[in-house]
Amino acid sequence: MPGILTATLRPYLNAVRATLQAALCLENFSSQVVERHNKPEVEVRSSKELLLQPVIISRNDKEKVLIEGSINSVRVSIAVKQADEIEKILCHKFMRFMMMRAENFFILRRKPVENWDLLFSHHQLPHGADVQAQAGGLRHPLHGGDRQGDQRDEVVCQRQGPYRRRGVPQKCKSSCMSFFSPRSFKFYLTSMFLTSAVLRKFPNIPYADHDRHHGF
Amino acid sequence: MAKNTLSSRFRKLDIDEFDENKFVDDHDEAVDNQGPDGAEIDNLIRQGDMMTAFHIALRNPPVNTKNPAIKERALAIVLRVLTSFKSSDIEPAVKSLDRSGVDLLMKYIYRGFKKPSDNSSAILLQWHEKAFAVGGLGSIVRVLTARKTV
Repeated sequence: MPGILTATLRPYLNAVRATLQAALCLENFSSQVVERHNKPEVEVRSSKELLLQPVIISRNDKEKVLIEGSINSVRVSIAVKQADEIEKILCHKFMRFMMMRAENFFILRRKPVENWDLLFSHHQLPHGADVQAQAGGLRHPLHGGDRQGDQRDEVVCQRQGPYRRRGVPQKCKSSCMSFFSPRSFKFYLTSMFLTSAVLRKFPNIPYADHDRHHGF
Repeated sequence: MAKNTLSSRFRKLDIDEFDENKFVDDHDEAVDNQGPDGAEIDNLIRQGDMMTAFHIALRNPPVNTKNPAIKERALAIVLRVLTSFKSSDIEPAVKSLDRSGVDLLMKYIYRGFKKPSDNSSAILLQWHEKAFAVGGLGSIVRVLTARKTV
């Protein structure tokens, strides 16, 4: 039995990686509805022509990944396997922990979509939004950021949070370790294990080409 | 002036509907494919002729119909063919397809992922791997951007 289970893991991860590579082809696209605004189209869903087909990759009926793309943003929802009650509780607590710290994570959404467990969201902003763009960041309130504002705000102020002294995380992998203090975090070992399992599915997400925007 | 401004009926009008740049999906009702023929496929599967069953299953995709029943039926037939393939036969089957065939196969694979049942996901993952090797990222992008789903 274990042979069969792990045999699907590698093709599953490869399929997710390939689909993600195809869906993470983003470019800056200002809102067509409101001038000077730049909204993640996958969240707003105002224009049909900007949205891609949502696609699911499933390993079995409990574990799947939903990828919804659009012209400037992508939403990745993960359904984590929860075999029994204790795993359900652990998963719920871990997700709550991660999502409460969503603003430090930058690409994590505060609320998952219905019936899914964990949600990553990536929005391609114009190059002027320096720090946020480096971390693939969102400033939409839905994602724990400031008010979206308009593009006249060239300088975005850094918020001082309790974990700020540990530095702004550069990549997904390191960010999880860099901003929680052992005192507030009870499920330390389990979370490390779950984090590495979840995040190992998304190593080295390629960013769309920032350099194209230099000429603006 | 007073008479005109009393009426607020204009507020109920959705001005965006009349915008000439508004995006409207093309409606191609002309070609109405009904999906592959179930009985024929059953026969071929029973005879063990998987390649022919495979090619027939990928003919006449119901991309233009809005009727979900037709699409479900076509999907069920294609999934039956895909799951009855042996792992070693998958690669030659994929190689025998042309570019649009590979795209169509990818569309069916992703639709099959939406409703995982017993072992179907494992087989579909194998099909996905082989189809990706032949079609590349382009075939996945064409699935994502297709306005007419299978």
